[in-house]
Amino acid sequence: MAFSCLAKIEMNQSLSPEFVGFFDNARRGVLSFPRCGACARFHWYPMPRCPHCRSADVRWQAVSGRGELFSFTSVKHAFDPKRADSLPYTVGLVTFVDAPSVQFVTNIADVPAEALTIGMPVEAVFDQVEDGRVMFRPVPLKSGGIA
Amino acid sequence: MTPIAIVGVGETPAVRRSEKSLRALVVEAVSNAIDDAGLKASDVDGILSDGLVMPTTVPRDFVAAQFGIDRRYDGGMSFGGAGSACAPQLAQLAISSGLAKVVVYYFGVDWGTRTSGPYGFHDLYAGKMAFEKPYGFNAQPSYFALWARRYMHDYGLTERDLATIAVTQRQSALRNPRSQVKKPMSYDDYFAARVVSDPLRVPDCCLITDGAAAFVMTSLERARDLPKPPVRVLGTGFGSEPVNGDDAFTQPGGMMRIPGAKAAAERALGQAGLTHADIDFAEIYDCFSISCLLQIEEAGFCKRGEGAAFIREKGIGIDGRFPVNTHGGLLSHSYLLGVEHVIEAVRQLRGDSGEAQVKDARVGFVGGLSNPDYGVLLLGKD
Ligand SMILES: [Zn+2]
Repeated sequence: MAFSCLAKIEMNQSLSPEFVGFFDNARRGVLSFPRCGACARFHWYPMPRCPHCRSADVRWQAVSGRGELFSFTSVKHAFDPKRADSLPYTVGLVTFVDAPSVQFVTNIADVPAEALTIGMPVEAVFDQVEDGRVMFRPVPLKSGGIA
Repeated sequence: MTPIAIVGVGETPAVRRSEKSLRALVVEAVSNAIDDAGLKASDVDGILSDGLVMPTTVPRDFVAAQFGIDRRYDGGMSFGGAGSACAPQLAQLAISSGLAKVVVYYFGVDWGTRTSGPYGFHDLYAGKMAFEKPYGFNAQPSYFALWARRYMHDYGLTERDLATIAVTQRQSALRNPRSQVKKPMSYDDYFAARVVSDPLRVPDCCLITDGAAAFVMTSLERARDLPKPPVRVLGTGFGSEPVNGDDAFTQPGGMMRIPGAKAAAERALGQAGLTHADIDFAEIYDCFSISCLLQIEEAGFCKRGEGAAFIREKGIGIDGRFPVNTHGGLLSHSYLLGVEHVIEAVRQLRGDSGEAQVKDARVGFVGGLSNPDYGVLLLGKD
């Protein structure tokens, strides 16, 4: 599945101020999550205060963008009629060694769902995405193919 | 606390799309419940609903005005399923403290007719709107599909295990003349059904329904003077965890578990002085086959990861050793977010379930999920 089929979904928001940093960073090609300046723990989704210690000192911490596929589903029904032409598409949930306690909802691009397995390494890709979404794809092996 | 009972139940026919407005459906359900109780609307002095869906669609003041009820007590907690399962907790507090004598609870949805259907509901969560919907992750079947896939990986659950839940509940629904679905479903039919969000197929997902249901509660003492056999509220439990609705389906605190279920079940059982072994049947919030299975585990009927084996060994059909969703549940009876589970438990304990009657049913368990909230209601024969 290429990115292009999903690229034209509008972001309908008035974004909450504590969400904005994510999108600013993503447009620059950086994946980042909120991390507490007091207790150094990550949380997700962004909250006005750290949910672990209640500190208001929450900062955007850049991460490597390398993660593992925790779970995934191939969506075959147009819950949103605007997506009827892009079925099926794959939603993945990704975990990160460098951002424990974050599980990130994304689309898995480049490969059909049949080629995915739980636990496989995946990486963030930013090309072709102007709206601040961050897609993931399986980490390519040097020998070709995917891990 | 003063012992209380459910003395009247009412509902509208379970249909995919109704010609009536949601207000009219609620009025019909409440009217039926008050009639069933052998009471008059003027006897009612307290009105309850869930705390989120009804206040924005058919608020309690509307019901009060329609029925001429002069409210002395008014309330609602959680939303949807947990709200319905826990309504007797609020009623018992009110009745015990003398704030009210007769309390009616109602719930209904028009998600069969409304354009956004059930999917619009989660739009109220800002985090989901910003970080999930743009990826096409905005519908309950996809939430639970992620859970199902990972659970299969971790615990060896098979698609056939999920089919067993859907197929068995369909068999129960066919023994109930009120169920929305009349068509039999074999395992072959299940596997031939359309995949919605893999691994979940259409029959793994709840129906979509327009309808409403209501029930009337009063003190057990007064209940004994009313026409229908009283169904006692033996125990109620609300449970939750500090997991917010944005996170509940994807983040480690809520993912693949039902945060409030364990606490809610323990609280209700503790209040009733009962154990799991005393429960003759269970009406469990089966929004999806996988969520029904997880609730069986988290509410303590079996251990984590053993739900599928438990279901296979016990049998969850009406004649099984652990009947679950004897009316067909959200999968095959109707999708009124669990209020019908309460009504069905009352019918079973009155002995009114006809061909779907569980033999010697004395204690029923109702579990209502409103992730991350959970409500448990234990009902018994007087
Ligand atoms: Zn902190």
